[in-house]
Amino acid sequence: MSSNPNFSKLLLVSFLTLFSFYFTAQTSIITGTVVDENKETMPGVNVKVVGKDGGTTTDFDGKYAITVESDSVKLIFSFIGYRNFTTAINGRNKIDVQLQLSTKSLDEVVVVGYGKTTVKELTGATVQVKGESIERLNIPRMDQALQGQVSGVTINTNSGSPGGSSSIRIRGLSTFGDNDPLILVDGVVYDSEGLNALNPGDIESINVLKDATAGIYGVRAANGVIIIETKKGRKGAKPKFEFGTYYGMQQTTKSLDLLNAAEYALVKNEMFIRGTGSPIFNNTDLKMGTNWQDTIFQNAPIQSYNFGVTGGGENSSFSIGGNYFSQDGIVGGDKSSFDRYNARVNLVNSLTDKLTLSSVLLFTHEERKALPENGIGSVLYNTINAFPTRPVVTADGNYEYFLEVSDIINPVAQIENTHNNSAVNKLVGKQEFEYKINKNLSFTNRLSYNYASVDNKTFSPLAWYGAGKYANSAINANLDPVQVEIAEDVFIERGASVFEQRATYLDLNFESFLNYSRTIEDHNIKATLGTSVFSRRGDVLNGTAFNIPNNSVDFADISANMAQNGYLNNTGSYEFEERLLSNFLRAEYGFKYKYIFSAILRRDGSSKFGPNSRFGYFPSVSGAWIVSDEDFFNVGAISFFKVRTSYGISGNDQIANFAYRALLNGEGVYVFNDIITPGVAIGTAANPDLKWETTRQLNLGVDLQLFNLFDVSANYFIKNTNDLLFSPDVSAIIGSYGPGGYPPIINAGDVSNKGFEFEFAYATDANKNIGMNVNFNFTYIDNEVKSVPSGVEFLPGASFGVGGNTATRFEAGFPIGYFIGYQTDGIFQTQEEIDNSSVKQAGAQVGDLRFVDIDGDGEINFSNNTDKTNLGSPIPKFMFGSVLGFNVFGLDISANLYASLGHKIVRNYERQQPYANQLDYVLDRWTIDNPSNDVPVVTTSINRNGVFSDFYVEDGSYLRLRNIQIGYVLPKKICEKFGTDFVRFYVAANNLFTITNYMGYDPDIGATQGTLSGGMDYGFYPQAKTIMGGVNIKF
Amino acid sequence: MKKINRLFTAIIISTSLLLGCSKFLDLDPPYTQDAENFFQNEQDYLRALTGAYDLLQGMFVSYWIGDIASDNCIAGGESVTDTEGLHQIENMTHGAVNDELRSIMRFNYCGIGRCNFILEPKEVEFDFPSKATILAEAKFLRAFYYFELVKFFGDIPLVVDQRLGVQQIQALERTPSSEVYAQIEKDLNDAIAILSYKSESTHSGIKGRVDKGAALGLLGKVYLYQEKWPLANQTFNILINSGNYSLASDYSTLFLKENENNSETIFDVEYSDQEGGSYGCLICLEGNLTVGYQGIRQYDGPTYGDGNSYNLPTQNLFNSFENYDPRRAATCLNIDDFIANNSVGTTYGIGAGGHTGFYNHKYMKSRDEMLNGIPDNDLTSGVNYRVIRYADILLMAAESSNKIGDDLNSLLYLNMVRQRVGLFEKISSGDLLYEDILKERRSELSCEGHRFFDLVRTGKAADEIDGFVVGKHELFPIPQDEIDLAGGNWPQNPGY
Repeated sequence: MSSNPNFSKLLLVSFLTLFSFYFTAQTSIITGTVVDENKETMPGVNVKVVGKDGGTTTDFDGKYAITVESDSVKLIFSFIGYRNFTTAINGRNKIDVQLQLSTKSLDEVVVVGYGKTTVKELTGATVQVKGESIERLNIPRMDQALQGQVSGVTINTNSGSPGGSSSIRIRGLSTFGDNDPLILVDGVVYDSEGLNALNPGDIESINVLKDATAGIYGVRAANGVIIIETKKGRKGAKPKFEFGTYYGMQQTTKSLDLLNAAEYALVKNEMFIRGTGSPIFNNTDLKMGTNWQDTIFQNAPIQSYNFGVTGGGENSSFSIGGNYFSQDGIVGGDKSSFDRYNARVNLVNSLTDKLTLSSVLLFTHEERKALPENGIGSVLYNTINAFPTRPVVTADGNYEYFLEVSDIINPVAQIENTHNNSAVNKLVGKQEFEYKINKNLSFTNRLSYNYASVDNKTFSPLAWYGAGKYANSAINANLDPVQVEIAEDVFIERGASVFEQRATYLDLNFESFLNYSRTIEDHNIKATLGTSVFSRRGDVLNGTAFNIPNNSVDFADISANMAQNGYLNNTGSYEFEERLLSNFLRAEYGFKYKYIFSAILRRDGSSKFGPNSRFGYFPSVSGAWIVSDEDFFNVGAISFFKVRTSYGISGNDQIANFAYRALLNGEGVYVFNDIITPGVAIGTAANPDLKWETTRQLNLGVDLQLFNLFDVSANYFIKNTNDLLFSPDVSAIIGSYGPGGYPPIINAGDVSNKGFEFEFAYATDANKNIGMNVNFNFTYIDNEVKSVPSGVEFLPGASFGVGGNTATRFEAGFPIGYFIGYQTDGIFQTQEEIDNSSVKQAGAQVGDLRFVDIDGDGEINFSNNTDKTNLGSPIPKFMFGSVLGFNVFGLDISANLYASLGHKIVRNYERQQPYANQLDYVLDRWTIDNPSNDVPVVTTSINRNGVFSDFYVEDGSYLRLRNIQIGYVLPKKICEKFGTDFVRFYVAANNLFTITNYMGYDPDIGATQGTLSGGMDYGFYPQAKTIMGGVNIKF
Repeated sequence: MKKINRLFTAIIISTSLLLGCSKFLDLDPPYTQDAENFFQNEQDYLRALTGAYDLLQGMFVSYWIGDIASDNCIAGGESVTDTEGLHQIENMTHGAVNDELRSIMRFNYCGIGRCNFILEPKEVEFDFPSKATILAEAKFLRAFYYFELVKFFGDIPLVVDQRLGVQQIQALERTPSSEVYAQIEKDLNDAIAILSYKSESTHSGIKGRVDKGAALGLLGKVYLYQEKWPLANQTFNILINSGNYSLASDYSTLFLKENENNSETIFDVEYSDQEGGSYGCLICLEGNLTVGYQGIRQYDGPTYGDGNSYNLPTQNLFNSFENYDPRRAATCLNIDDFIANNSVGTTYGIGAGGHTGFYNHKYMKSRDEMLNGIPDNDLTSGVNYRVIRYADILLMAAESSNKIGDDLNSLLYLNMVRQRVGLFEKISSGDLLYEDILKERRSELSCEGHRFFDLVRTGKAADEIDGFVVGKHELFPIPQDEIDLAGGNWPQNPGY
């Protein structure tokens, strides 16, 4: 193989000549140079004769030579990120061209499965978000940054803690189980939990495939596909350096309005007097007392340093980036933090004229510290419920114990005793060979890999929170260890312990596909045929060791343990492997770029399923009609008008491995001779006919461009998911409900999502001195469960309170995870009212909540479900995202707003416990003097006010200013003095304000404990409000 | 160029080969055994038997209901919605939606399923000397689980020597309780024929493995519940005359860990304090959670540990003891008196789930257990639950003797129980003796999970339990979900 470029050029020219010769004798050669907006030459620009096949690209110096036939009329020049430029030949032999950067144009390239297309040719509901708009937000996590950017994509934060995750839902919740979309980074499968490993500064574009055209990914596509592309270089471009940094301070977006000490004493006295007859405080003049929230919240820094260089030589291009990001937690001081180091290398090498090698390497190192969050026993839960009348540290120097209650511990002591560290090393990469067999056909082979090692270390010191506390690991305040009897009268100490775990995961994916593309006069034909072989392996090993010396985190390592004879220490391990084997075919036909039709078929085999139903076929079809290209279409205001539709089937296989067979992985342990003796038991019962979930989706969409200025896009979709993968309750007689036993996973139940999406974009020319840009998107989603497995009325979800009632359900006719409980109708004001009520409410006292008799049997039934009713849905009905930007002579200001409307949140962080502190709404409680009709009486005696009712359900709607920033770009002349091309300074604020009626910390709540726990607030770690300043420099 | 062409040809050929080769997807789970064709040797049988024993530890629900449903105890706890099902049962307002009743159904059928896994016919039967004993123990366990179910629910589907799939359940009917009892008797008689007494050398000697005595005791009880008096009497006599058992001298220390497996032990559920646990999966625990649950709420004082104030004895129970009966104090702890006498100033909490002033003294967390356990120490008591003890056998023997007209032996057995606690001997006969025996059962066996079932089988429930409706509350309702999941065709128990 020759590496002589002249030789290649010669070959190319002769090739082209030969070709043209073949078709027609009348040809001429046109040459020229292509430059960019800065008048720098552009290599790699596609040059084509309009309506003809083939074409050429510009060389290293931006020069091209193209052979045209005598009947050729126009040339078209195209390059990613630039507007297409079409010019009439008019007999010229030399045509020089300057290309302009595109803002959002129809020629923009969108990444779809195993290929690329332009906005104009797109037949599916695919949306692209540019990396810049993500990066510019300075939102620490990629997933959060995507919130409100794309219609139809709902993103809720699972935790606001540093390094936390979000739940990403494309077009609603469609299943009981795993709703995560398939995420691909440069074609490599990435798990959505780990998205925070990505550096927002590395991202070129995010493409969201929302409809059935995602079906090219078959059995994993039902929840939609997100394709993330990292930054690539450009051949022949001079090296460009970029440096960006910001530094900011974070604080909590909100503190709860809790009772202060005086209010607490007053309320609790009233409560105890009513219940037991005697007050608990003799003196209620206690002033403010301890503000426990102040003791755990603090201001915390956040910072990021980003560096990148892109460029290219004659036969290669590169893009290399590095990032350091650090975020401290707003709760818990140095016990909650996230540090991330990213390194990225993207290389594209033309090994020969025909063979291109693309290499991607993304390395991430993360270190995270985390506190217990989102649940009973979390730091915030303890903080909310701690008594304001008690100091953090008592006079005798101990942390306050709150001895009156067993489940609330001192949150400051809890933070001090928490040592929970994790470290992730992740290497994601790809080597891709693309071989151009001829001008129509290319053959791509790629190997991609995703290796991650996740290390956890948790040190549990001997701790004492007061007598009877669940969290004690010592036996007294002197931190004496527990003595464990290991044999008759043989005792050993159980001291501080350390738990360490290493989990390693490796995905290997080999893919091979042919891309065919040909234009014959007015007909465009494209086809993709390929195969994919995927394997994922995981290996988890862990151990716990006791008696760490000095009760000190300094010795927190298994190697340091002093456990006598290794007694008590234990180990565990786990391995898994799963595989996919797939083929796919896509065929596309376009006539004059006016009528476009595309069809996809994928065949997937998944090791998740048994031999009875291992292989599945996933077809989809889509079409688009560019109405504005019709001769009859003559509406001056509409410069572009496209209608498109798609329909297809995709799948979901995200269940446990080997669920189709019965394994002895249950727990069968009993005590013989006083020794715990392991045996065996069947775990999950078998279902050999298990198969994937099927989603059928119809999409109708229009894309409009008005006055060449406004881009408008709208979609309506119906998405029906059938054969849901469930593990619903089965009859007790199956025998699944023992230790380690689970009911079989079956296919049953249907869910429907219908919705409407609307996007609007407007931007003036970015190069003008005064300009503005507006982006607006709107989503409406109607979620409904259509059927549940036979014999099951509903599937119970999250529970309310401690040992309390089921608060959410999966039930036909309602949204997934809707809230079910009693409906209240004010408060019983008088005894007569209770006595004369037509509805009997057992045990009702004056001041109690009055419940509604839903079933009309004249009685409130607390022992069954007949009086429970729908109290709302955790799924927002409407979502709005909006970006507004203005720039005036280098000064720019932008704002990013997000609103989520029509969903409910359950206040589940209040401990139903007489001594627990309460929100200050209780000041408006019912008393004889204050006949409240909203807040029931306070009492310690037995009452029903604590059952799950709409009293605990709040409107979760909110509007949030997610980002606002003011920047200044130095004038070019000044920049050049410092040898730079571009310098921008800015100040910005994230989450500056939130308008909501919700009383909890943060209304942006994901589902932290499974799909049916949406909207359950367990004392949520809120997102931070951040004020920051930064600079971006290019040189 | 040629090289590359060749390379790509090779790739095309190899990938297309892969496509045809679905063996790529034939994975076996690493390091895990399949349920089918599992039984290959003695060890496998023993491990599966251990799995079948495991569900005995789910007895805590049944144990609670035995007293809470009766006049002995109230549910207690943090609030009336804390384990709400128990509160409903306490008030006789329970319906077919009740998590605790559902647990009873689930745990016991899981135990039955694990026994059936051992007992179902195998493609290839492996033989070894101890196999008969293992199968006999599995039969004992199956009988025990079925007896629990029939006691609570009456007619229940009988599944023997097979495992059922989701589809087969739909066709299943409720089997008449007489047929269920017949199967229980058959299993126990089979077990008795094989098993030997703990004292015999043919028994493994392993604490926790059931023996002939346990099987005889349970069989006698099963006969008693069916009022098959002569058979019951005969069975108890075999057990008593075996000479293997006697009453322990000190009643007040009977329920301590160190007095397990003594001469009075017929059948215990074994627990350990060596494994931690959480509230997330109570059936997964190896510890006896009732001990912590029944502890004194928010107590920090001598002798006892803190707990969740469940299953609290009533004043009615306290009053029912004869004066000077030491079993009163051993059963009901008067917490205020205790503090006044031992540790003035110590406080404890009162749960909104109810307070009687008494705590369940038989199974109650001690201070030692707090210091000596593994977290959560509410859940990790190693104290065994005494399911059948010799005193119970004696009283059941007294009852069956009385019923067959043998008052001489009846009095003998009754007075053995009374003598142990230093009470005077009874000399009654006939119906009066019968009443004395039932009264003695309450004094001897309260807070051990028997009272409600005794009241029901002796027809006295309506007299003693507020809200008890004759013709309804003798049985608990089949959980509505279980009816629905089995196809919705089962009739509910009367009155629900």
